[in-house]
Amino acid sequence: MESQQEIISVEGLVKRYGDFTAVDGSEFKVHKGEVFGLLGPNGAGKTTTLEMLVGLRKPDEGTAIVGGFDIMRELDKVKEVIGVQLQSTTLFELLTVDEILHLYGSFYREHISIPDLIEDMLLSEKKNSRIKGMSGGQKQRLAIALALVHDPQIIFLDEPTTGLDPQARRTLWDIILRLKERGKTVVLTTHYMDEAHVLCDRIAIMDQGKLIALDTPGELVRNLQSDSAVEFRFKDNVDMDLSKIEGVKQVGSQKDVHVLYTDNLQKTLTSLISLASEKELKLVDLQTRTATLEDVFIHMTGRRLREG
Amino acid sequence: MRAYYQLTLAQLRIFLRNRQVLFWTLAFPIFLMIMLGAFLGNGNGISLSVAIVDEDKSEQSKELVKELLKNEAISLEKDLNEKEALKHLKKGDMSLVVIIPKGYESSVVNGVQANPFKLPVYYNETNLAVSQVGLQLVNNAVDTISKKQVDYKPVVVTDSKGVDALNLRYIDFLVPGIVAMMIMSNNMNGVAGQISSWRERGILRRMQGTTLKASTFIAAQITARFMLNGLQAMIVLGVAWLVFGIEVRGSWLTVISFVTLGTLAFMAIGFIIAGIAKTPESAGPIAGFLSFPMLFLGGVFFPIKDMPEFLQPIVQILPIAHLSHALRETMNVGASILDLGLEAIILGGWLIGAFIVASFTFKWE
Repeated sequence: MESQQEIISVEGLVKRYGDFTAVDGSEFKVHKGEVFGLLGPNGAGKTTTLEMLVGLRKPDEGTAIVGGFDIMRELDKVKEVIGVQLQSTTLFELLTVDEILHLYGSFYREHISIPDLIEDMLLSEKKNSRIKGMSGGQKQRLAIALALVHDPQIIFLDEPTTGLDPQARRTLWDIILRLKERGKTVVLTTHYMDEAHVLCDRIAIMDQGKLIALDTPGELVRNLQSDSAVEFRFKDNVDMDLSKIEGVKQVGSQKDVHVLYTDNLQKTLTSLISLASEKELKLVDLQTRTATLEDVFIHMTGRRLREG
Repeated sequence: MRAYYQLTLAQLRIFLRNRQVLFWTLAFPIFLMIMLGAFLGNGNGISLSVAIVDEDKSEQSKELVKELLKNEAISLEKDLNEKEALKHLKKGDMSLVVIIPKGYESSVVNGVQANPFKLPVYYNETNLAVSQVGLQLVNNAVDTISKKQVDYKPVVVTDSKGVDALNLRYIDFLVPGIVAMMIMSNNMNGVAGQISSWRERGILRRMQGTTLKASTFIAAQITARFMLNGLQAMIVLGVAWLVFGIEVRGSWLTVISFVTLGTLAFMAIGFIIAGIAKTPESAGPIAGFLSFPMLFLGGVFFPIKDMPEFLQPIVQILPIAHLSHALRETMNVGASILDLGLEAIILGGWLIGAFIVASFTFKWE
């Protein structure tokens, strides 16, 4: 990105649970006004990193400056400038939307207009309904509304769309993009590639507690040095060297699914098909696509983002 | 301040909207009070049922019956024959059977003889305590008649001066105990259950992510629970007044002071349990483990002095024992807060001690 003002600066954060190191020396900076994604499979340390930044866990080593304040020494000030939506939080189910927003608003020195916030989060018709009876998408929008109630500069969202249906996810994406338009900085975690691609200005890929890449989504894909992927299975299991196929720069194989990365889709495809006919192998589920962040992840770790 | 007010309001809303909890936490003590009160409510004073079989049917025998009737403690059954009366005695329906045989009048009228007339009185040996009292009463009645016959003039008399003693029934004992029980279970079990479940569901963590202070959160909890408890105690006392005519003899201020002290002490213990319990499922049994012994040992249903000697030291330190005793003294006897200094100090000690422990064991997550 263009040189921008840093709003978060993470300096060597480490978190251990016994022998297990959940976060192993993360270092990155977040620019003001961008949507920053922490991407990785379950257990990569995304949530732990985020929870250290919002003060819910104490780092074993390192620190971070969030909104100009040190999370180790000035946590109270940090909490005033951040808004948090946590994974797997339930709210007081017997309160109404309006009541809980007023409640959370009262925890801060100042809060924004609750009716406007309800309107913004598309919750007007649920204003006086109890949280208990709301849908997953509505609850998630309410959770984000609670994070916004004191008009924070930085908003942390931990897997905001996990478990939502496609339509609800899209509604939430719109909301997040609108936050960006208003100049808010958003830090979110996700394990959905498409989501990271649509929402994030920059992405940090995490795996096993380590930050393994950080760039814009476009740049990350470009670094694969191949823009197309050919994915297929053989009907019968065969052992053969696929890298010899013309134009193939890299082979990724997951169980019986093979992925060929190439810059010359046509050449690779023709060559694959003639090879298959020659050896009398039957191709199944053949598809071609442009390389995605998913491929970046497989390329870097040899594993898929979501196993199984 | 705004957070404190909003949190108190939110907690009260949650209480009032949780109809089922609200109903059962109130219904149980009231049900228990009415059941126990109806069965045992008047069982404290001795009531004697005496069957009298008048075979003489004379002026003098009627005189004796009249004498016995003077005693309010005796309920007299006159319409039985000897056989029936003895059968009732054996079954325990009657405490005593007095038989006035034929020839009673002539014997009494004849005055002093070498062998005084013998009046057969049957009693049930299995219920000796009651029978002894009954025999004493019958003796008195017979004695009065004897003295009248011989024109007896006493040399010395006792001058008994009635003191306005309290005629306490079991229900008088029970109601303050029920109020104490309600304060204990609603606060100790209630706080332990609610806080550990809020922790499990991440509600506390989410609040920890805001600038809310733990002290504000706890203060609001206390306020809301105290308001709810006060209301519930009033309802129970109101029902007790309507159904059993129980009233508060002492000052309401003292009652309220002890309700407050009890609420705080048991809430603090509840916070400790919530801190110790790893899951909301384990909070219930831990709270039960503490509340059950307290129910039976702590003077809720039975007087503490009835407990075995070896349990006395344990019983004497239980917070519920002092709460129920203080409420009882205030409601039944009308003791003022100055008379109950020891109880207040012990409850206060529990409150402070438990809050210190709770502040170490309390976890947001």
